[in-house]
Amino acid sequence: MIRPPARVVVAGLGNEYRRDDGAGPLIAERAVTRAGRGSVVGPLADPLDLLGEWDDADLAVVVDAVHSGQMPGTLTTVELVDGPDGGIPGGHRGASSTHGIGLAGVLRLARAVDRAPGRVVVVGIEGGDFSQGTGLSPEVQAAVPSAVRRVVDLIEGGVPCA
Amino acid sequence: MTHGSGARRTVGVEGISRVEGEGSLRVEVHDGAVTEVALDIFEPPRYFEALLVGRHFTEAPDITARICGICPVAYQMSACAAMEDACGVTVDGRVRSLRRLLYCGEWIQSHALHIYLLHAPDFLGCADAVELAEQDRGAVERGLAIKRTGNLVMATVGGRAVHPVNVRVGGFYRAPDPAAIAALREPLLQARDDALATVAWVSGFEFPDVVGGYRFVALRDPGRYPIESGRPASSEGLDVSPGAFAALAVEEHVAHSTALHARLAGRDPYLTGPLARYALNAGVLPPVAAEAASAAGLGPVCWNPFQSIVVRAVELVFACDEALTLLEAYEPPDPPAAEVRARPGFGTGVTEAPRGLLLHRYEIDADGTIVTARIMPPTSQNQLTIEADLRRVVEAGLDLDDADLQWRCEQAVRNHDPCISCAAHFLDLSVETR
Repeated sequence: MIRPPARVVVAGLGNEYRRDDGAGPLIAERAVTRAGRGSVVGPLADPLDLLGEWDDADLAVVVDAVHSGQMPGTLTTVELVDGPDGGIPGGHRGASSTHGIGLAGVLRLARAVDRAPGRVVVVGIEGGDFSQGTGLSPEVQAAVPSAVRRVVDLIEGGVPCA
Repeated sequence: MTHGSGARRTVGVEGISRVEGEGSLRVEVHDGAVTEVALDIFEPPRYFEALLVGRHFTEAPDITARICGICPVAYQMSACAAMEDACGVTVDGRVRSLRRLLYCGEWIQSHALHIYLLHAPDFLGCADAVELAEQDRGAVERGLAIKRTGNLVMATVGGRAVHPVNVRVGGFYRAPDPAAIAALREPLLQARDDALATVAWVSGFEFPDVVGGYRFVALRDPGRYPIESGRPASSEGLDVSPGAFAALAVEEHVAHSTALHARLAGRDPYLTGPLARYALNAGVLPPVAAEAASAAGLGPVCWNPFQSIVVRAVELVFACDEALTLLEAYEPPDPPAAEVRARPGFGTGVTEAPRGLLLHRYEIDADGTIVTARIMPPTSQNQLTIEADLRRVVEAGLDLDDADLQWRCEQAVRNHDPCISCAAHFLDLSVETR
């Protein structure tokens, strides 16, 4: 029997005025509404804002648009681990981020002060258009339902990370 | 990264960590003389101004808040001020006080973030805040607690801590319940104590002996430290209306950067931010902040950019204290917003973002559609001065090895807490010395 995590925080990182960068907050909001449990946080522009928001969570799901060279709309799920890059491919310096401290750094910081969630899982959705403006690209828009399902499954404890 | 030999040396910093955004800075030294300092911005220019054109004037606060995740309230406040100026509306005192309280929350969280997580590691030999937490967990916990209180103020007044949703042109959508405002008192009392401890902590850091020659520009607001209103003033006697300042502060493109560089009257670089605010307004700090400044050894003007962390800590005390004063006097504005009707014309709004003066100027038509938009963030105003600081730092540090010189240059940039994502979406800072 799969037991869902008791306290779940779903955070949407991104900027809805940078087109596909807005996918994270949109997916986070819809997933929590669909699941009927968990707390949604966002839109967050900076991973540092997770501090204080995810402290007591058994599971934190961070949904963010990514830029890794895959086809737009491709989903990637990664559970963060200890280490400079947190297990995020290319995540050691957040190369495409405006943020002073990347997600892996924020998790390390949270762990250093005993304020980290039990688990942190990142659901990344490959973006194709990060230009100024609102609205997702068609490819990313088409992948939103799958991303929402994946986050809902995580909330309900049913998806191992891959 | 180091290249060259003999009289020519190149130190390249691929990117500077702990700066909001990414950029690169190149410094060239030839035969012991600094020949070039160039702060390069690789990202295409910001198109938020273009995005605003054609939108309704009431949308500006929410759209511009997305420019920066650290200081959304600053963008909202300057946008509201500009639109109200364009429409000839003056909001009442209760709305102004509530705006100031919201803005205090942003100062608290932004200053705590910069002091503890981005700037202090420089002075303590730590690579980042994680290392600092391992070395001095109590300090980082104190910083995070202060930041949480700032976020709590923003969430209580603004509806949420990140990109507040309760702000509108004319005031607020809803006035917070007095009980919710009163509940901020205890956390703010603790934050003020923690801020005082912050001043004592950072004033004990070791500072390089560097004296900057600055032309300071900040708002002045009669009788009080400027946040959400005031007139632009300078250390050289400037005292003008926001609209006149918009005309005076001329922005230009330079070859190595896609951000705009601002000069006064098209000629003089200047500095905005905590050092400038303090230099022009130290005399109106409340006693608790003034005494903290004095105990930290600050005079009426601080010329050492490395000590900006001390000034920022004093402003942290001020922001906590000011928030407490405002919440004690809180009366919900009724109605929560003034009615603002569009009329054709120009409007300018200036407020003090945590990093410095933030100017918005718009032209709207009779229907309230935005015709032109200009946003001048503090970082683009400070960029030329940051370059001048770097020149001084390199000239004074030519005897340092490359790694130490590079470290010192990175510090020199972080002294001014640049938020490059305001000036352009990303900045990579790299320094080259030859």
